[in-house]
Amino acid sequence: MALVSLDGVGKTYRGRGGAWEAVRDFTLDLAEGEFFCLLGTSGCGKTTVLNMVAGFEPPTAGRILLDGREVKGPGADRGVVFQGHDSLYDWLSALDNVAFGPRLRGMGRRARRAHAQRFLELVGLAGQGGKHPAELSGGMKQRIQIARALANDPRILLMDEPFGALDALTRATLQGELSRIWAGTGKTVLFITHDIEEACALATRIGVMTRGPGGTLKAVLPVDLPFPRERTSDAFMDVFRRVHALIHEEIVRA
Amino acid sequence: MNGRAATVAGYLAGFALLFALWHLAATLLVRSALFPPPLPVLERAAALIADGILQEQVGASLRRILQGFLIGSAAGIPIGLAIGSFRPVRALLEPWTEFFRFIPAVAMITVAVIWFGIGEESKVFLIAYTTVFVVVIATAAGVGAVGRDKIRAAQCLGATRLQVFRLVALPATVPYILTGMRLAMANSFVTIVAAELVASNDGLGKMLWDARLFMQIEDIFVALVALGLLGFATDRLFRLAIRAFAGRFNPTM
Ligand SMILES: Nc1ncnc2c1ncn2[C@@H]1O[C@H](COP(=O)(O)OP(=O)(O)O)[C@@H](O)[C@H]1O
Ligand SMILES: [Mg+2]
Repeated sequence: MALVSLDGVGKTYRGRGGAWEAVRDFTLDLAEGEFFCLLGTSGCGKTTVLNMVAGFEPPTAGRILLDGREVKGPGADRGVVFQGHDSLYDWLSALDNVAFGPRLRGMGRRARRAHAQRFLELVGLAGQGGKHPAELSGGMKQRIQIARALANDPRILLMDEPFGALDALTRATLQGELSRIWAGTGKTVLFITHDIEEACALATRIGVMTRGPGGTLKAVLPVDLPFPRERTSDAFMDVFRRVHALIHEEIVRA
Repeated sequence: MNGRAATVAGYLAGFALLFALWHLAATLLVRSALFPPPLPVLERAAALIADGILQEQVGASLRRILQGFLIGSAAGIPIGLAIGSFRPVRALLEPWTEFFRFIPAVAMITVAVIWFGIGEESKVFLIAYTTVFVVVIATAAGVGAVGRDKIRAAQCLGATRLQVFRLVALPATVPYILTGMRLAMANSFVTIVAAELVASNDGLGKMLWDARLFMQIEDIFVALVALGLLGFATDRLFRLAIRAFAGRFNPTM
């Protein structure tokens, strides 16, 4: 059985400006342990899909199941890594940010800090736990977010363009580390991006969306390349070209 | 170093410059008995301190400010949190805050004196009054400004509504609360002087009033300088407190 399944999901925002259909008839099953990249042009509805899976917003059509139960709101079984880093708690140290989930469940101070320390090590920030978010670089903040989500042991990790605001070098480094962490933990990941190369480097499957309004899943490509991915290999280039062609159709479609 | 030492040195130099300009203005520009230079004023201050009079007046004003300020803050913070957190409470209480904040404490002096007499109660009431609305508004604004992603992050880590409030909304609002309190403290100085000018047996405002009656021009300046220094010192203390509690996560303050 699929871990997460979206069944004919749609979302129409209604506001003062009238109704806006952001997502239409979106159907997808996510299997346990896969790394699924959802790829699409800006404004096609990627964040909307993720927000519905996270439970932040209800779908206006269809339904979303997690382990066969309908998603009714946010919950600890779905960890979210946000695009920006204002989701971090500025008044807490990096370590206490990572320990936040266990704290909510009533884990004692020492235990949760020891627990958080392991996840700081996992994201390569072992010695930085005492710093506050204001003292960390953009890349480090995203590592903290990843550690915070993983330390809570969710069933699935939802990531909304987590590296979008980083410089190219940092982004490549973090992609490599995320790939390593994913392979090590076996977590299921739904990863949103508009960066074709990023999708090709990380995903076991890539879903390409049509452009909005009414964005929906246009095609799903399995990526059967070994990790770590060799970005200059012919096989990688081949996948890149196929995905690029799919996206390009959406860009030129007026 | 010593940013702090540099700041202190800067402050000292700033005050020295202020007093030097005052001296020049009084001795060269104005040369009137109505505008004394700093030296005789300081001498007068020393005499008043030796007699214990200045401390008494300062103490009386400060005590009232502190009491009223604490009462006003203690009431304002929970009300502000409630307004910021619950829509119905906001709808119910916003007219109050929006109504009363346009009636300045100074305008309430007469009512306060009629209700509470010219003793401590009327002053404490006025300071509490001037404090509470500023703190309410700042606190409610702080709750409203908590980032959406901060709340969502807590929700998908499994937080209950109460946990979101206690562990996210509340700490995120602390800098706003402290900023509101700092503003209220400044207002308290305005209010206390006005209240003591009109109706009081002691305090700096009363000292100003008496000095005018008896044309003790130095005393007036002693009171003015004392007010300035006192306000400056309390505001610095507040800034230090804000830094200590919140500065780490709000570099703008
Ligand atoms: N809360 C909202 N109210 C109205 N329209 C929205 C809202 N959120 C997103 N949209 C619209 O829905 C479409 C999809 O947005 P989004 O999911 O953020 O796209 P993406 O993440 O792919 O860039 C956009 O046209 C956007 O303007
Ligand atoms: Mg988006």
